[in-house]
Amino acid sequence: MIAGLPSPLDLVELPFMRTALAELALLAVAGGLVGAWIVLWRQAFFAHAAGTATFPGLVAADASGVSPTLAGLAVALGYAGGVERAGRSGRAPSEAATALVLVAALAVGVVLASDVFESGGSVDRLLFGSLLGLDGGDLALSAAGATLAAVATVLLGRAWTAMAFDPEGATGLALPAARAELLLLGLIAATVVTAIPAVGALLVTAVFVVPAAAARLVAASVPTLIGWSVALAALEGAIGLYLALWLDVPPGPAVALTGAAAFALVMAVTAAR
Amino acid sequence: MSGQAPAIVGVEGLAAGYDGRPVLTDVGFSLPGGSSLCVLGPNGGGKTTLFRVLTGELAPLAGRVHVEGRPAYVAQTDRTRLDFPVSALDVALMGTLPGGRWWLPARRSERSAAQAALERVGLGAEAGERFGKLSGGQRQRVLLARALVQDAAVLLLDEPLSGVDPVSGELIARLYVELAEEGRAVLVSTHDVESARDFDLVLCLNRRQVTFGPPGAALRRDALEQTYGREMIVLEGEQPARAITVQHHEH
Repeated sequence: MIAGLPSPLDLVELPFMRTALAELALLAVAGGLVGAWIVLWRQAFFAHAAGTATFPGLVAADASGVSPTLAGLAVALGYAGGVERAGRSGRAPSEAATALVLVAALAVGVVLASDVFESGGSVDRLLFGSLLGLDGGDLALSAAGATLAAVATVLLGRAWTAMAFDPEGATGLALPAARAELLLLGLIAATVVTAIPAVGALLVTAVFVVPAAAARLVAASVPTLIGWSVALAALEGAIGLYLALWLDVPPGPAVALTGAAAFALVMAVTAAR
Repeated sequence: MSGQAPAIVGVEGLAAGYDGRPVLTDVGFSLPGGSSLCVLGPNGGGKTTLFRVLTGELAPLAGRVHVEGRPAYVAQTDRTRLDFPVSALDVALMGTLPGGRWWLPARRSERSAAQAALERVGLGAEAGERFGKLSGGQRQRVLLARALVQDAAVLLLDEPLSGVDPVSGELIARLYVELAEEGRAVLVSTHDVESARDFDLVLCLNRRQVTFGPPGAALRRDALEQTYGREMIVLEGEQPARAITVQHHEH
């Protein structure tokens, strides 16, 4: 049921809302920065896959008292290493093969939760996040992800730009291309995992791909793309959280839907010009 | 061309290919500084493979290769991404990356060098334009500017005139001469037999080296027939032969 319009100040005055807002701000930095590289490198599907592939690991870890973040990180980094290695040897997995792995990951995770660990109640939380139930540890993790993304962008941004723009021409630019690519895939995998407590394994692309994809439609330079991507991620996070508070819907999906609406709006405006 | 200058590109008994299977064999030539070489051959003849070996990207299966310094390489322009958010200046600035400071922001001197290179290819005023919005010929000139910024002794240009407008074509062809006059070695791959006459040397490839030498000696009818086979139409019977090639362009 739609309640009366809440005050926007509730987002900072209610403690659980304040934590959620801080988390979304940190994720906006990580997701906005890394998202810019994801869209420039056309790695949206990889980012989605890295998030989803962690699901069985999250279920197993959650039920056995191991840190789901550590388990997720191990699975996502292993997945990134495997993709990079396969790509280097010219046997990059086809999109159909990746899709198959993702379906299997989801199915195995659900079976593990319902029949092996009998922790079915955790499935929703692991897939869609629990933005209103975060603690200081989750914030610290996201802050680490944001810092990592910022440092990597400063140090590797020029190389990543040149390699994505013209992969063949970049071979003559004396760049450590294989390591730079592995670092990018590793950064995507690691930062995606930091977003899982907040938005879940299935909705990480709402923070890591959708704002950057919208920014990509209007940005004329890489720095502008990064700036818009971070700003849009932050704005969509705040609006989504406010809508969740107002309409009493889960905040993760509210943020994802706000991002989708913003993307559609930007696309309509750019198409009309 | 100065015939006495020492070779800055040397290739001897080269075989190169992919997955251990050679697609190019028996290549041997040397090129002094201050000279231009036209690498002529059909699509699939081994031109790009030779360039990949010269850049060090592909290890030879056999033979020896010597290139002075790190060559500047201009790949075929249709492989760049036209929707990418970079300006002409951004692309030229990428030429400063081999300087070894790729993890640091570009210095003012590097920006000046990139701007100067754009001016040299006649695009100083277009520095701020988005790369993808430039014409095909202008884009090729921007990629050439990126190579100029590298200040390399050896330049490798893969089909630089394919699909460019006449103005850009003339400007690029003039640059070959200027670059050679500066003492560099300029290697240009093409399938256009007529343009090969303007180079100091010509190397004909068709999965192996057919011939190498000055245009007058290399562009003989028998050599061109071996290079192009049925893809060639000889326009006149005289030597050196005048010919055009008929090819399907598959990239």
